[in-house]
This record gives sequence, structure tokens and C-alpha cells, in this order.
Amino acid sequence: MSDVKIKSNNLNVFYGDKQALFDVNLDLNEKEVTALIGPSGCGKSTFIRCINRMNDVIDICKVTGNIEIDGVEINDENLDVVSLRERVGMVFQKPNPFPKSIYDNISYGPKIHGKGETKSELDEIVERSLKKAALWEEVKDRLDEPGTGLSGGQQQRLCIARAISVNPEVILMDEPCSALDPIATAKIEELIDELKKTYTIVIVTHSMAQAVRVSQKTGFFHLGKLIEVGKTEKIFKNPDNKMTQDYITGRFG
Amino acid sequence: MSNEHTVKSYEEELQFLVDSVIKMGSLTESQMVDSMDAIIKVDKDSIDKIIKSDDEINKFRSKIDTQIMTLLVKRAPMAIDLRETISSLKISQDLERIGDLSKSNAKKVKPLPLDLPEELLSNLKRLGELVIKQLNDVLDSYVNKNYDKAKEVWEKDEQVDDLTYIAMESVIDFLSKDKKNLDFSTHLIFATKNLERAGDHITNIAESICYLIKGEYLKGSRPKGKVIQE
Repeated sequence: MSDVKIKSNNLNVFYGDKQALFDVNLDLNEKEVTALIGPSGCGKSTFIRCINRMNDVIDICKVTGNIEIDGVEINDENLDVVSLRERVGMVFQKPNPFPKSIYDNISYGPKIHGKGETKSELDEIVERSLKKAALWEEVKDRLDEPGTGLSGGQQQRLCIARAISVNPEVILMDEPCSALDPIATAKIEELIDELKKTYTIVIVTHSMAQAVRVSQKTGFFHLGKLIEVGKTEKIFKNPDNKMTQDYITGRFG
Repeated sequence: MSNEHTVKSYEEELQFLVDSVIKMGSLTESQMVDSMDAIIKVDKDSIDKIIKSDDEINKFRSKIDTQIMTLLVKRAPMAIDLRETISSLKISQDLERIGDLSKSNAKKVKPLPLDLPEELLSNLKRLGELVIKQLNDVLDSYVNKNYDKAKEVWEKDEQVDDLTYIAMESVIDFLSKDKKNLDFSTHLIFATKNLERAGDHITNIAESICYLIKGEYLKGSRPKGKVIQE
């Protein structure tokens, strides 16, 4: 049994008057992949955005309750959000490389976080990150070309490389494959499997099959509530909750 | 089952699969009734018909296989739908095997003399009736998704074992009285054993039904009666 890396206690999120999350209690295990599933607007993305305090940038957003990473409350006012986001990387639905070279895409993070002082240090980080993201072989001879010139699947792996370049502990993925073809998806999924040896991963996905393939634990959200959470195999073979069953078998609504 | 699928055709495909298994089950049951009847009445005229009905059952099996493959590819079923699909596959396999055993029993009627003493067949008849009842009950529990009834069938196989033992003994008794009886007595021994095997397939079906309904396998070992050493 893995240790708990991230713990949420009675987490509530409000966007103005509208409550988006209701008393979510969810433990995410270290070096494991947790998949979050549920219909659009159910709060799964809102939940992962709490883990690196991305909701801070939305003025009307209010968060109550706790989220702890390694036992430390991250909603603490005195917490340095920049260093939190260094520890908790994020990959989005659409690949969003910077309009810069492949090299600069990766080296940017380490530079601003003061992780690569010299050119050779940065070179090493770029190579290591791209290798970890299984992209190195495809781009090593054109590191100065723009990242936006890569294919969709390559761009997404570039974004993963960018996320891991600062040595995070957690990677949040918000539907990372929804814009990718099956081959690119397969490569990302294989990569997730590899990355989980080093990182704690949370993935939001609309693909049930993907959740089964990549995750060890699955949480089902509906209307802002965490309805059921458990071992992925159990959730997809024999869930306890009828709502979960209705959702994963396509009987919803 | 709970609500209907958002996709209506998916709902229909699953229902069609379940209906196919039910139809295959009722064919298998009537074939077993016919083959028992043929043995007890030593009715050699019905042998061909019973053998033919096995072709029908086998065809059902391949039809169900195709339906399952299509469902898996098309719908990637989950949870209850996945269990429904997989149990259809397993149940149809067991039904096919039961069909084979009934066919084999029908073939054993050919060498039987027409004047078999009634007491020789009475235990075999009782065994046949019990196995037919078990098959009927297990199919009923499938149709009605009745967990308790399926479990009851599973537990009752003990009685099939016991009756098999008794039926075997009576044939062996008869055989030991006169070596001339050796030829057809052997066929009766095999027929008895076939019924016992059919009983085992019925318990497999009961297990599949329990898994289908609750998502977990029956725990513990099944009660077993006296067993003839092979």
C-alpha cells in the first residue's frame, strides 16, 4: 500500500454564488496514478486545479477546507505559490507549448526557478526531461526549432517534458489525450506508466478505457460531489454505487 | 438492470445477447429431456433427431460468440454490462458442453436391448430428472437474475453426485450378475457419468450467474456427494 501524498478534507469550492465542489475528501497515493472521471462540469478539473492553486487566478473563486501535500496545508496564505507550482506540474487538454524553441520550452522553467545555472546544466536538464518524456530521439537534432512546429502528440510530450524539467513531485493532467490520435495517446499512456515510478499523477479523463489502462485508483465525481472512489479495477468491474455504474456503462441522464 | 443506456442500440444488443443465451438454454434443456426419454424408453427412432438438435445448439454457440466479439469491439462494456457479456460467453460454453453430453447419451441408446429391466433404469431415471430440474432451475435463475436460486442449484449438485453413485451401483450390480450384460451395461455407466458431468456444467453456469449478479465469485468449496473414482 502506497503512502498518501495528497489529502483533501472537506474541500469546497465556490465560483461566486455557485458551489462547484462539496465536501470532497480524497486521498491520492504517492507514485500512483489516480484517474478522475465524471460528466462535464462535475468538478473534477476544479478539484485538480486546487492541488496547485490554479483557482487563485480566478477572482470570484473561494476555496474552503484543506488540501495537504505531505501533510502540509497548501491553502495557507503564507505558502509560496510559485514553489508549490514547481512541486506540482500541470499538463492541459490542448498542448500549449510556448512560442519558443523546443530547447527554450524546457529550459524556461528551470531557469526561472534557478535550477540551471550554466549552459551545460541546462543542456543536461533539457536532455533528461525530453528523454523522460520519450521525445528526445525525435527532436534531438532540431532543438532550436519552434515547439509549435511539432505534431500534436509531440507537443503534448513536450509539455510533459516541460512539466518535469523542474523536478516536480506531482503531475496533474487535465484530459491530456483528448486532442490526440490513438497512436499519440498510446505513447502518452505508456509514458504515464513510466512516470508514475517517480511522480504522483492525477489524470482527468473522459475515456473510461484510458482510466482503466493508466490508473490504479479512480474517483467518480457528479455535480461537485465525489460519489465513489476505489481501486480502478473494482470501479470498472463492480462499482458499489449505482450512479457510478450508470455513468461508466453509459446509462446516465 | 438499472436505467436504460443512453444509446438505445447498445441496450438492444445486450438484450439480444441475453435472449440468445436463454434460447440456447431452452434448446439444451429440451434436448436433454429428449435424450433421457430415449434412454428410458429405449427409443431408437429419436436418436437422429437428438443428434441433429445438437447442431442447432452448436450454431447458437457460434452466433453468441460473434455477438460477444462485436459487443466487446463496439461498446467496450463496463461493470454490469461487462459481467453480462462475459457470463454469456461462459454460460454458452457450458450449455454447448451439456448439449454434447446429451448427444452422447442419445447415441448410447443404439446398443441397448429393448427389454431392459425397469429396476435397472429407475435410478438412472431419477438422476436424469434431477439434472433436468437443475438445468431448468439454473436457467430460470438466469432469466430472473435470481442470486439465491442460482446458489441453491450450485449447492444441490451434491444430490446429483449422490444419485450418480447410486445409479452406477445398480448398473454394476446388474453387470456382475451376468457377464453377457457387459456390453450395454458399459454404455449405461457412461450415460450415468455423462449426466454427472452435465451437473458439473450446471454448477459452472450457477457460478457465472452469481458472479454476474454480485460481481464476486461464490466463496468456499461446493458441497460434494459421493464420487465414483475414475
